[in-house]
Amino acid sequence: MDMILAAMGDAFTWQALLAIVIGTWAGIIIGGLPGLGSVVGLTIFLPFTFGMDVITSMALLIGVYCGSVYGGSITAILINTPGTPQSAATTFDGYPMTQQGRVDEALGWATFASFFGGVLSCVLLIFCAPQLAKFAVNFGSIEVFALVCLAMLCIVGISRGSLLKGLVCGMMGFFFSTVGSDPITGADRFTFGTYALSSGLDLIPVVVGAFALSEVFVRFSARDEEATTIPEARLRFPNLREIGRRLIELVRGSFIGSFVGALPGTGAAAAAFISYAAAQKLSPRRANLGKGEPDGIIASESSNNAVTGSAFIPTLALGIPGDVVTAMMMGAMVIHGITPGVRLMVDQAQTVYALFVVLIIVNVAMLVLSKPSIGLFRYLFKLPLGFVMGGIVMFSFIGAVSVRGNPLDLVVAALTGILAYVLRRGGYPLAPLVIGMVLGPALESSLRRGLLISRGDFLSFFTHSGIAATLFVLIGLFLVWTTMAGVLDWRAKIAARREPVSPSSSRA
Amino acid sequence: MFASLIHPRVLTALALLLAGAGLSITAWQGPASAMLVPRIVLTIWCVVALAILIGELIRRVPVKRVTLTPLPLLMAAILIAAIATASLGFLIPALPLVALTLWLFRIRRPLPLLLGTIVIGGGLWFLFHHVLMIRLPALLTNGVI
Amino acid sequence: MTTLRYSLAALALIGATHSAMAADHLDIIVPFSAGGATDIVARSFEPIFSQRLGVTSVVRNVAGASATVGTAEVANSEGNPNIIGYEPAGALSIQPSLKKLPYGPDSFTYICRTVSNPMFLMVSKSSDIESFKQLVEESQEYPFLYGSSGPGTLPHLAMAALTVNSDLKAEHVPYSGSGPAMNALAGNEIQIMADTETILENYDLRPLAVFAENRVEGYPDVPTMQELGLAEMDFAVWQGVVAPKGISEERTQQYAEACKATVESDKFKSFADKAKADIAYLGPDDFKAFVQKRFAANKQVLKDAGLTP
Repeated sequence: MDMILAAMGDAFTWQALLAIVIGTWAGIIIGGLPGLGSVVGLTIFLPFTFGMDVITSMALLIGVYCGSVYGGSITAILINTPGTPQSAATTFDGYPMTQQGRVDEALGWATFASFFGGVLSCVLLIFCAPQLAKFAVNFGSIEVFALVCLAMLCIVGISRGSLLKGLVCGMMGFFFSTVGSDPITGADRFTFGTYALSSGLDLIPVVVGAFALSEVFVRFSARDEEATTIPEARLRFPNLREIGRRLIELVRGSFIGSFVGALPGTGAAAAAFISYAAAQKLSPRRANLGKGEPDGIIASESSNNAVTGSAFIPTLALGIPGDVVTAMMMGAMVIHGITPGVRLMVDQAQTVYALFVVLIIVNVAMLVLSKPSIGLFRYLFKLPLGFVMGGIVMFSFIGAVSVRGNPLDLVVAALTGILAYVLRRGGYPLAPLVIGMVLGPALESSLRRGLLISRGDFLSFFTHSGIAATLFVLIGLFLVWTTMAGVLDWRAKIAARREPVSPSSSRA
Repeated sequence: MFASLIHPRVLTALALLLAGAGLSITAWQGPASAMLVPRIVLTIWCVVALAILIGELIRRVPVKRVTLTPLPLLMAAILIAAIATASLGFLIPALPLVALTLWLFRIRRPLPLLLGTIVIGGGLWFLFHHVLMIRLPALLTNGVI
Repeated sequence: MTTLRYSLAALALIGATHSAMAADHLDIIVPFSAGGATDIVARSFEPIFSQRLGVTSVVRNVAGASATVGTAEVANSEGNPNIIGYEPAGALSIQPSLKKLPYGPDSFTYICRTVSNPMFLMVSKSSDIESFKQLVEESQEYPFLYGSSGPGTLPHLAMAALTVNSDLKAEHVPYSGSGPAMNALAGNEIQIMADTETILENYDLRPLAVFAENRVEGYPDVPTMQELGLAEMDFAVWQGVVAPKGISEERTQQYAEACKATVESDKFKSFADKAKADIAYLGPDDFKAFVQKRFAANKQVLKDAGLTP
């Protein structure tokens, strides 16, 4: 108890609180700007942390991280361009709601779901970190392979209407992720003798091209039409009754996010897609998903923000960073003489508790700062369309080139933008492209590693462990379920075509 | 028959199929272990693209009337600026690109055009390159521009 | 149009004059993304180094392709006195023999080696293997799996050399960094790993041997490879500073002095202590000879292990 009070004392200094406010606000804005994401935000702030004490520097970095994951949803909802890849799944229902004039409701749900997911994962982190970490260790390569296969299936759900087109985009994204050095043998693939390509294609430039630049092109074609004006950003929080009605969705999204975040090497974007796919199967309002249903926003935003808390589980319990961002956080700890590792919880309990308190304050700060941040975006988007689009082009360029300092990434972004525009015009959904690229590397390396471990015997994957077997059964069930639903749909359509259609029912 | 082939959707599907097939050749020539997953991915790609192509040929969506727009100009400008950045640094290609974007999006009065270019192009570059110290590609070896 | 041409010409002129002389600005390339283990050391090194040199400096993270993209950026800046690279061992001494790169060990002006940590052969503490001999015996029946932080990294090379030079039977499973490999070790997906003291301490592992000439301070009971009756195997994770080729002798000297002063400063020493990095300074000539020796040795290992033709 003394420890917790002391930790509170560490976290409630004015320096730490100031760092949280600055970090969270900057994070929301950086996340909201298309092209700039969590990594760029943290790279901006990392040098400032060198002169600070450990809690303050953690507070700043955690603020930027959590803020940026939430901020990505703002532009996803307002202009159909996710500010960060983590929010790609928010566009599915967020943008349709905007088109229906329900911006305030959409932003309200995104904000509340982000807060809910963040806090719930903090609670799990505080009370179940050792257990969850122990469970996550059971996820070896074969289990991860099964999980990622299951996640890949959400391409099917997301590309409703044109499954084939979604599938080809998913494969394209998957293919993009295989360019460059092979993760297992190190051999160069698809570089065509160009050295610059051997570092592969990064996710950020592709997302910038596929969403931000292609959106500029789409809006360009309709630049003189009234419909292209961006609606005014407002925020209306859901009331208690509305929250109660969708509580199960919030909890499910947060749990999925917390769990996926605890596995090393998956990340928030994957969590959001998995959670959305789960909502498509389980939400009571699933028929309406993709047409402007708050459940879709909840699924995506509660899970990606839940990752922010649970990504610390492997870091704190085992010293293994869950993603790039926690790796950066571990670096900041090392600078301050704290060595992350298996004994961190024991040796540095006070710091760890202070970190928990900081995480919770950051989520509260996010809720409080959402209104002024959205206000800022309201003013930005009130500018004439030309300035907004010029700004998006510029931020896309900065984001694409600064993510790893490679000018080739700009060319990748530009080419992806043109390709994405052509695909959009042809009726191809673009989200599967991102899913393929996010999940592709995990799928490939876990498969290849699994083959190394089982000495080339793929069939033994199914009997490798209880977890793997369960996941494979789930995949089988999903496939059967989807096929049956498809067949029933098709038969209903045939039946409807045979019967004479009465004028009143033909609209349905 | 020929007219139906130059339908944009058919062309897109055809291009996807050809791209997938071309990449498959590279994949099948490469080492078996490193190319295992790309081969599977590209095979699915080709099969699906073929199915899409057939689908588009059967169900021809009426062609929208093509109007001449300067969109290809904007696309080309973005691509050229992206390529030029490697050799000219970030600022010099960015300024004309921003100016052109503003112009095409109907910001044509000289003052807003000039101010917008300076603030959005130059200002953001300065903010990131010099204030936030996120180094963007530079023209001069000492990194000033 | 003519004015534009003139101003472009003027800019080019400024560029030409600038490239020839040392300015008060220095780019320090780190070939990993921000926050990684090498980046943290580089960022602690940078402020002291630039202060000694009397310039303002910026750390630029140019990540990708096993750190070779950033390294190539340094090599390609021939004659530029305002850029240096803070380089890991792999990018300088392994990668050039593994694949075709736009640089080789002769593409740099070597400045100094900063830190170097010997590598240990280790297993999980939950396993019942206590010695190298036992490890070799148990591997005969069913080969072990060893992890690494990626193909062609030092952990991979050290283990490859060990399997070639001893009776140990083990196969390689690469991961995308030490963290995921540690997760796999905790889940018993792999059984062996070769890495530095930092990993050994942080993850509470059991060292069986050390890849060094002499026993390491703090681990008096851990034998060297030679003591186990094997060929001499010397693998260490080191970092150093390189500049592009074609910079002036004077500039090289300036860099070398600043580097020496930096690694000897109390501030850097206390940081290195916290980060468990052993300071191991080598001056320009020694460092160059060291890299060339390591390069040749690693090339031989890659060949013996069948990783390169």
